[in-house]
Amino acid sequence: MASEEAKDYVLPPEVLEETVRASEELWKPVKKVKFRIYKYNPKKDYAPHWEEHELEVSKGMTVLDALLTIKGEMDPTLGVRYSCRMGLCGSCAMMINGKQMLACQTRVLEAAGDGDVVELRPLDNFPVERDLAADFTHFFEKHKSVKPWIIRSDEVELNNPTGPYKQTVDEYARYYQFTDCIKCGACLSACPTAATDYEYLGPQALAQAYRYMVDTRDDGLDVRIAVVDTEHGCWRCHFAASCSDVCPRGVDPAQGIQLLKRLIIKRKFGYKPHKPAEALPAKVKAESKSGG
Amino acid sequence: MEAESGYREYYARNMRGISGWFKVRAYTIERWLYAAHRITGILIVLFILAHFYSTGWHPGLWWDALLGVVVTFHVANGIRLILAELGLAIGKPLLIKKPSQRPVSIEGVQRYLVVFALVLFIVLAAIWAYYALVVQSMMG
Ligand code: SF4
Ligand code: SF4
Ligand code: FES
Repeated sequence: MASEEAKDYVLPPEVLEETVRASEELWKPVKKVKFRIYKYNPKKDYAPHWEEHELEVSKGMTVLDALLTIKGEMDPTLGVRYSCRMGLCGSCAMMINGKQMLACQTRVLEAAGDGDVVELRPLDNFPVERDLAADFTHFFEKHKSVKPWIIRSDEVELNNPTGPYKQTVDEYARYYQFTDCIKCGACLSACPTAATDYEYLGPQALAQAYRYMVDTRDDGLDVRIAVVDTEHGCWRCHFAASCSDVCPRGVDPAQGIQLLKRLIIKRKFGYKPHKPAEALPAKVKAESKSGG
Repeated sequence: MEAESGYREYYARNMRGISGWFKVRAYTIERWLYAAHRITGILIVLFILAHFYSTGWHPGLWWDALLGVVVTFHVANGIRLILAELGLAIGKPLLIKKPSQRPVSIEGVQRYLVVFALVLFIVLAAIWAYYALVVQSMMG
């Protein structure tokens, strides 16, 4: 029986051949690329310096692959931060040829273009931890300052929930786009305001503030306005839109910030985007349960 | 020793400073417009200060035309910015994203606003220059 089932899954020889050929193609060395890498340890070095390494790269090789090869074979002291290697954890954002990108999502040949040099620096406008790794402490503090969680006044329901809060698809669509943020810091790094204002809350935190303010389950509109409608808050944004340009997750923080400004202006005239959603009544719950 | 720690702090903070406002390479046209808006804004402030100090100084008619370019750019792009910052023409948040989704606030309707602002700038600048160079000189 096992062999019969297995037979169904054998690829036709021509497909198998094509698959093998395609993957060989992906990992075949194409050309030599020179990596210019920023080296700096603020605890020890007086000033940063550059180091260069040459590597045979293939079509499928990402910048992170290259960095790990360099770390493994040429320079074990290289400081680089990564975790998931698939664009989900937000650890590996850096300046690749002058633009904020995820090292694990950028192929070397793509970054090099027609040239054969790839220059790597830590994220602009972030303190340097070591070499290519930036210090995110301040960035995370900014995110935390906008209270990125559901704020409610019905404490009894919150602590002993009788059911999920009601939300329609349209209501969900108001904020879904912003939930994709992986806190990679690329947006804050690209923002021209952040280049001169260390305390600027930044696109990431402001877009997240908006994300919670228009969530129908949330009741924290005024609490968050007190945080973002400030000297270093949303009015420092002048719509250069570079944050959205570099965001690897299509979060579009520039859009969030402009919508946030609009919301604050409307709030000054007494507008509220929603009443905090109620918990679903027990009857609906029972029906949906029996329904499957 | 003090200078040394100053250097160290400078590199450790890694802030681009004012040059960061003008780091336009690799970004979209909105970033160029941002940089131009900054420069024209600063020039207008400088002009007003100089104007307060002395209204008599005037190197020639071309000076008025140049001022026109600066002011009309700031006005035309300013209209675009006011609309965008009021949340207009920047699209709605998406429910479904394509695999490599480009931001709607940049590459959606807002791009028409960019074109509108640039056209408006050229028209206004041309009118201003016409008055400054032709009409003014006819009036002596
Ligand atoms: S908004 Fe985009 S660029 Fe900014 S931290 Fe989130 S995922 Fe990164
Ligand atoms: S749109 Fe605002 S937050 Fe985004 S890069 Fe521009 S100034 Fe910064
Ligand atoms: S390693 Fe996780 S995003 Fe690149």
